[in-house]
Amino acid sequence: MSDAILSAHNLVKHFNAGGWGAARKVVRAVDDVSFDVAPGETLGVVGESGCGKSTTARLLTHLLPTDRGEVRFRGRVAGTEVPLKDFRRHVQMVFQDSYASLNPRMTMLDAVAFGPTVHGLDLPEARRRAGALLERVGLDPARFGPRYPHEISGGQRQRVNIARALAFDPDVIVLDEAVSALDKSVEAQVLNLLTELRRERGLTYIFISHDLNVVRHISDRVMVMYLGEVVEIGPTADLYTAPRHPYTEALLAAMPSLDPDRRTMEAPLQGDPPNPIDPPPGCRFHTRCARAFGPCPGTAPVPALVGRRHLASCHLNTVKEAAE
Amino acid sequence: MAVAQTDIETLATADKPQGYWSGVGRRFLKDKVAVAAGCVAGGLILMAIFAPWVAPQDPFDGTMIRRLSPIGTEGYPLGADELGRDMLSRLIHGARLSLFMGVTPVLIAFVIGSAIGIAAGYAGGWVNSVTMRVLDVFYAFPSVLLAIAISGALGAGILNGLLSLTVVFIPPIARVAESVTTAVRKLEYIEAARASGASAFTIVRAHVLGNVLGPIFVYATSLISVSMILAAGLSFLGLGVSPPNPEWGLMLNTLRNAIYVQPWLAALPGVMIFLTSISFNMLSDGLRSAMDIKQ
Repeated sequence: MSDAILSAHNLVKHFNAGGWGAARKVVRAVDDVSFDVAPGETLGVVGESGCGKSTTARLLTHLLPTDRGEVRFRGRVAGTEVPLKDFRRHVQMVFQDSYASLNPRMTMLDAVAFGPTVHGLDLPEARRRAGALLERVGLDPARFGPRYPHEISGGQRQRVNIARALAFDPDVIVLDEAVSALDKSVEAQVLNLLTELRRERGLTYIFISHDLNVVRHISDRVMVMYLGEVVEIGPTADLYTAPRHPYTEALLAAMPSLDPDRRTMEAPLQGDPPNPIDPPPGCRFHTRCARAFGPCPGTAPVPALVGRRHLASCHLNTVKEAAE
Repeated sequence: MAVAQTDIETLATADKPQGYWSGVGRRFLKDKVAVAAGCVAGGLILMAIFAPWVAPQDPFDGTMIRRLSPIGTEGYPLGADELGRDMLSRLIHGARLSLFMGVTPVLIAFVIGSAIGIAAGYAGGWVNSVTMRVLDVFYAFPSVLLAIAISGALGAGILNGLLSLTVVFIPPIARVAESVTTAVRKLEYIEAARASGASAFTIVRAHVLGNVLGPIFVYATSLISVSMILAAGLSFLGLGVSPPNPEWGLMLNTLRNAIYVQPWLAALPGVMIFLTSISFNMLSDGLRSAMDIKQ
């Protein structure tokens, strides 16, 4: 796994939810998450809201300090072996809210030019390059360069955000629900742009979304998260056709389909995920799992290899009696 | 393919790009009340600057024969005060000290309070808590009481009055600065700036200041009138400006004995304080709505 461009090793992030001393409550937003991303690949991350997708993104980009675990860039620990300032140049992020992620008092050209100036480029040169980048993401720099965020549309703003990330000439871009807030038609355009840019610049994406169709379209591998844990990670085709975790199955069954024969007749999952302040013991999914059996409430399953580069954390794959 | 679609998308919203401040100016000019208030405030400031040329008489020159002449006396359009000095000239000259006592403490407190509040708000966590709780101790005192206490401890005089008023205004301004900064700090563009690897100082300079100084400044302008009234109160108690200098609060104080003899005359300094404070208030209100970017 040393060939990974970015890897997470046992990331843990708990948020305080009130209380002191023994009564202190924590939200286990991310609990022991490990995975790695190969250069040039796109890793999709899916899961219900509150499963820790966005927290994982912020831990990966070091926008949040980790409680435990480390992020490695090309095998070296970010923050210690790779200085944070260098790390940030290599790993960039695009946020969901295109409006909130742009300074309302900064023109689009300066928003894109800001990053490189932080890393020592002088302003005129940074602006010249920012103009070229705006052009590349499909915005005329003469028309959009001097504009403010409230003067342009959501799709255009998200293009600016992509241009801002590109301005660092990064290796990895973490896209946290980057297209989720856009109209379907605009979303498709931005996805095409992302695909083009990936080919053109050899980018690696970590693509976080709740939209399984979009994730399938863009990802090489998919990671499924539930209550702060990775339940399954594997190549897109394998995971979508032959999921090895009941939660993945349920998610896929909930996917809207245009085919009337494959229409969802009843909700595959009942209710909301349990409270992450006090997750269920054993397998965290057992309270909602239709196929829960003997060991599920007692022991937490460990990730097991179920195919080529395909891991799943489920007793069904490892305990023999389950097959009978 | 993607580029062709973009052209359609971009054409739809194409019109002339506008700068932020030109938009603020345009919206401000539409607000008739704010423009009127701005004119009054500007007129008062000009009057203060050119007082020696505008005032018809020497504000220190009194004659006992003329004391407490009513409004409309020949040569004394607004009458004369208890020492027979021309009221109009004293009101015009009084604008200098009164405006000075109103604006200067707020300006100094704006600089110091913003610095404290923005630093605390951006740092967050326990730094924020400790700073703000310390300021809350000052905030807990009524402002008049605090100003009188500090001024009283330091002794009478313009400089001590300024100092006490500045101390009084730092906590409220810092509080506003802290709350605005805390709100801005949570936005994703600050996260994006942190993801760029910029230092905290650079982020504050490039991304935080521009978005918080506007609201803090508007709040500070509303304090100018409070400051004037407090300064007038200090003078009234004999702690700020000392006689025979013309200052509206002090004039109000010395004329209070004449309130049964010449009530209109005695009210004149109060009218000036009211006029100034209301014009600054409405001006800052107008600025606030003009700077609201989402209109």
